[in-house]
Amino acid sequence: MKELAGRLTALDPDAGAAVRVIAYFDRLAESRAGLEALVRGAAVLAGVPARLVDAERRVSVRVEADGRRSDSALPPDPAWPSAALTPDGVPALWLERAGAGPSVVDAVILERAAGAVRLVLDRTRGRAPADDPALVETLLDATAPDAARLHAARRLGLDPAVPARVLAPVDGRPRIVATHTDPEPPAERVGVGPAVAVLDLPDSWAAARTALRFTAEGTAQDPGPRVVHAEDLGGIALLAGLVGPGAEPPSDVQTLEAAAAASPWLLATLNAVASTASLRAAATASNVHHSTLQERLVQAEHLLGWPVRTPQGRFRLQLALTMRHLARP
Amino acid sequence: MTQVPPPFDPELAAALELIKDVISPGITPDEIDAARQGPGIEMLAGLDLTMDGFFEIEDRAVPGPEGAPEISLLVCRPAAPAEDGPRSVIYHVHGGGLILGNNRFGVDAALAWAKELDAVVVSVEYRLAPENPYPAQIEDVYAGLEWTAKHAAELDADPGRIVLAGSSAGGGLCAALTLLARDRKGPQPIGQLLMCPMLDDRNDTASSHQMAGLGIWDRTANETGWTALLGELRGGADVPAYAAPARAEDLTGLPPAFLDVGSAETFRDEVVTYATRIWQAGGVAELHVWPGGFHGFDGFAPQAALSQVARAAQVGWLRRLLGR
Repeated sequence: MKELAGRLTALDPDAGAAVRVIAYFDRLAESRAGLEALVRGAAVLAGVPARLVDAERRVSVRVEADGRRSDSALPPDPAWPSAALTPDGVPALWLERAGAGPSVVDAVILERAAGAVRLVLDRTRGRAPADDPALVETLLDATAPDAARLHAARRLGLDPAVPARVLAPVDGRPRIVATHTDPEPPAERVGVGPAVAVLDLPDSWAAARTALRFTAEGTAQDPGPRVVHAEDLGGIALLAGLVGPGAEPPSDVQTLEAAAAASPWLLATLNAVASTASLRAAATASNVHHSTLQERLVQAEHLLGWPVRTPQGRFRLQLALTMRHLARP
Repeated sequence: MTQVPPPFDPELAAALELIKDVISPGITPDEIDAARQGPGIEMLAGLDLTMDGFFEIEDRAVPGPEGAPEISLLVCRPAAPAEDGPRSVIYHVHGGGLILGNNRFGVDAALAWAKELDAVVVSVEYRLAPENPYPAQIEDVYAGLEWTAKHAAELDADPGRIVLAGSSAGGGLCAALTLLARDRKGPQPIGQLLMCPMLDDRNDTASSHQMAGLGIWDRTANETGWTALLGELRGGADVPAYAAPARAEDLTGLPPAFLDVGSAETFRDEVVTYATRIWQAGGVAELHVWPGGFHGFDGFAPQAALSQVARAAQVGWLRRLLGR
């Protein structure tokens, strides 16, 4: 009789099993059981390990089918049955059942467990940490007392022992992320600061804002990378101090703008040449035939007044394209 | 006297939801037959007694008490040869309220300990009440212990290293067996592991009232079990200690005891009292009261966090006792 709970899924996946699953999680929720108990419930009822991962709230719980807690650093298999905690959220709760078709009982277990988990998380951890502007401002203010800044970090859900980085989006509002989380790829331009100790985040923020100036829309009119990591810039970052935003652009940039005004394909083509390893790759990236590319480059070199197919000329082109972004107001 | 019951542990409360259709808190005398036919038997049939081949299994018919039928011992010996001399023996007595069960009942817990500690398990079958009233049970269990001690060498086991272990009615029988072995100067076990033991026929503690109608084995079921054993004697002045160890006047000279019990069950108070009386008699006892545990929770819901802790305490005590 003792194994009854574990054998639940061995029963026909009929309404009887589903009803018991529902009663089980209702009872857990009623008595305010914790996260581990809920994940254990899913594992025991399903007869396979279950895991809960909510990166934003820093929650990671994995329980074996026999009820033992056993966390894993390996990523969940996308093929496992899973449930999100919010209607259109990412998967957060998995049953580690490989190679199985959809099962009614699994679906009920996931649905009830996820619902109960959501309630516990809202109760015990608050909403997912919103980037409260006042807290972020305190944390990024190097002149504020360390104690106040550490307090702000904790309120933002950051573990002071874990390095973090600042993202600088176009809207100017800093976003702070712990290094062990993967922020979803942004739709807009963003500069990414280096990973640093929590108290050094003002430096990461400054570097992120600089990195943002090197980004581009990634369109034909403004080709270039949407996301730039400060750590990848190296000495190129020094250019940011030489070319001020909105100042009169250097003459090579002015030449580039004039040429671009005459030929709409020019910027994208030159960006392809500057950012790929060979002209063949550049042709592929610009979606033109190799010979077409050669023709266009002859024309571009004529408009610019310097060669772009020599190492020196290519470097000058890269500088011009980069300074064009930096001169943007 | 307060009637407000302590709450069940959240996970255990949920587990009760799963088993409530199969096991109700109370059993009345006319429900004994149905309880014996319950689905538990079927599940026991599927139990792998060898624990993935670790044990060799044998059913031995051995002499019962004088003038009584033979009894059946389930003998589970590690298949590998004993490396460090004769092995310890866990002498297991099953539960079931004295009215149901067989020597497979709950033996998986004993097998798990024995696998970890490289011990032999002997699980004894005894005649059930009410068809066989007191003292059939304790005498069968005593006969099995005598055989085990006498034939230990056959089992590569050490007759001087026998530990008694049982849950519920089995725990009560183990407690009674230490009293009987002491008084008859029979085989002397070196420890008694009493899991939520059934000790007191009077069925009148605060916890027995508090938990009426709740959990598993409430005072109605308890009355059914004790009455099956003792008939008219139950609760009266003349109940022997070998039937209900709580009745023992003398708790001196007993082997070290491990006792555990849930805070949310009928037996809570009688188990706490029994442990206290062992200490008062100058004995050795380790007592665990697990908060929110219902009767036999670690057997019915072994996956629950509280069950894992309770099981770890049991095996930890055995490990210290056996020096392994």
